[in-house]
Amino acid sequence: MRRIYESDALHRDDDPHTPNEKDTSRRVQAVRWVNSTLLSRLLLPTGIAYRAVSVDISTPNDEFAPGESVPFVVTMKNSLPTPVTIPTESLVLWTWTVDGVPEASHVPLRDPPDERGAFVFDRGERKQFHKRWDQRFKVGNDEWEAADPGTYTLGAEFNVPAADEKGLSSETIVEIRSD
Amino acid sequence: MSLLEVNDLTVKFYTEEGVVNAVDNLSFSIDRGEKFGVVGESGAGKSVTALSVMRLIESPGHIESGEVLFNGENLLEMSDEEIRSIRGNEIAMVFQDAQTALNPVYTVGEQISETIRHHLGYDETEAKERSIQLLDTVGIPDAESRFSDYPHEFSGGMQQRAIIAMALSCDPDLLICDEPTTALDVTIETKILQEIETLADEFDTAIQLITHDLGVVADVCDRVMVMYAGKPVEKAPVEELYYDPKHPYTVGLMSSIPRIGDERERLQTIPGTMPDLVDLPSGCSFHPRCPYAEESCTRSEPALVDPETGAVATDDDEHVAACLEYTGELTDGLGYEVTVRDSSDDAEVETVAGAKASSAVDTDVPDAGGDRRD
Repeated sequence: MRRIYESDALHRDDDPHTPNEKDTSRRVQAVRWVNSTLLSRLLLPTGIAYRAVSVDISTPNDEFAPGESVPFVVTMKNSLPTPVTIPTESLVLWTWTVDGVPEASHVPLRDPPDERGAFVFDRGERKQFHKRWDQRFKVGNDEWEAADPGTYTLGAEFNVPAADEKGLSSETIVEIRSD
Repeated sequence: MSLLEVNDLTVKFYTEEGVVNAVDNLSFSIDRGEKFGVVGESGAGKSVTALSVMRLIESPGHIESGEVLFNGENLLEMSDEEIRSIRGNEIAMVFQDAQTALNPVYTVGEQISETIRHHLGYDETEAKERSIQLLDTVGIPDAESRFSDYPHEFSGGMQQRAIIAMALSCDPDLLICDEPTTALDVTIETKILQEIETLADEFDTAIQLITHDLGVVADVCDRVMVMYAGKPVEKAPVEELYYDPKHPYTVGLMSSIPRIGDERERLQTIPGTMPDLVDLPSGCSFHPRCPYAEESCTRSEPALVDPETGAVATDDDEHVAACLEYTGELTDGLGYEVTVRDSSDDAEVETVAGAKASSAVDTDVPDAGGDRRD
């Protein structure tokens, strides 16, 4: 029996000039024949992209018992009917903070590659991230300290310069009771 | 010098959810001809470790730090061309899903002989001969006619054997087997494992066997590394791991192995699930699931230490574990005890959890290491 392979009907993918790397920059588009993500990246001014996207952080309660995990939800929304791309300072697209301390760690958690990132939102897309803070601060490479009772500000912001001024950050206040 | 030496490897994935700490500060070494097991639940970082060794991590994954020394050369600093000459030739990999690993539009024989032609410079006839010989070696009946079969014409077990044949085609020095028998039934699993072992002995190939099945490790490996949440929690020779486990996670894994003749209605399982690698718990990553966890476990992350002395692990230490118990930071200690019982045809290890655990557990160890019977 003659096999498909032996018939030479198939093109091998190791011919010269055949791309051998996956193009990860392309996303599946809502309208497949229009690369609207690329178009909006090229045509939509960054200032308008910043205004189109909002971020909000919320917790289910305002007060928590000592040692109790503090769950919080970060919601991001693109209000435009077109895709929006927010260029970020590094591959870390956004971060959360406790009293301004990134991810409640006083020591650097990572050393991201020297590359800029892009946070892509589809048209009208709403992204939601569920996180929790266990009321501890990382103070050394393998040491944590419990947070004292009191008031703490939980924040979330895009990894862009002056996120506050651009409206790309949000904060909420929680209290750790002293009981 | 070890054949493979991985030092302080850290791999992270940059996703929208956050940064996934897939592998964190991992070090291990494999000697020539050694069979090294890597065990842990899904998401422990076993496969990412293997893919990092092969430099097959794709975006959004990044190898952030560390080195992978193969025969003394750092694979992470090699050019793409250099790494391609090693991949499939000196280091080969058996992937867990053979059906996905095989290209459906090329014949199985062609896929094996392509590797041989590329790496060893054989011509088409020689490569075909060697492929048929390899298919025969891994137990494919009537190898000559099956050479021109397509993957869909092979059964799951045969596909896995074809993948093994492909991996062994260039006599690699290191064979990484990533859950090679997960998709197979137990009879085929035994055959495949025997074949890997025999072939490795025949070709003096070192094996890195990744699995979540401690029974498989006991059968095949010389040394084992137990991983949890991207970090090694225990490393030991296989016999010591089974007869004298030092980390509560290892004990939990052993307790969950089913045993013939076990009269318990339910198996003892480890409560909870592996933590989200984006949001690792503070302190010891295992503390939320550990029956012996204390306040100190939430504040300090244990380093790998020698359980006898509590000194930080060195390359010379054979048995190391990452638990605060061994640095004297637990007040109540670990409440399990392991007793090795003789039975008619096999040794049994009974792992009895202490007062803090929910119930006693009883574990069978399938032929750990092969020859020691206490």
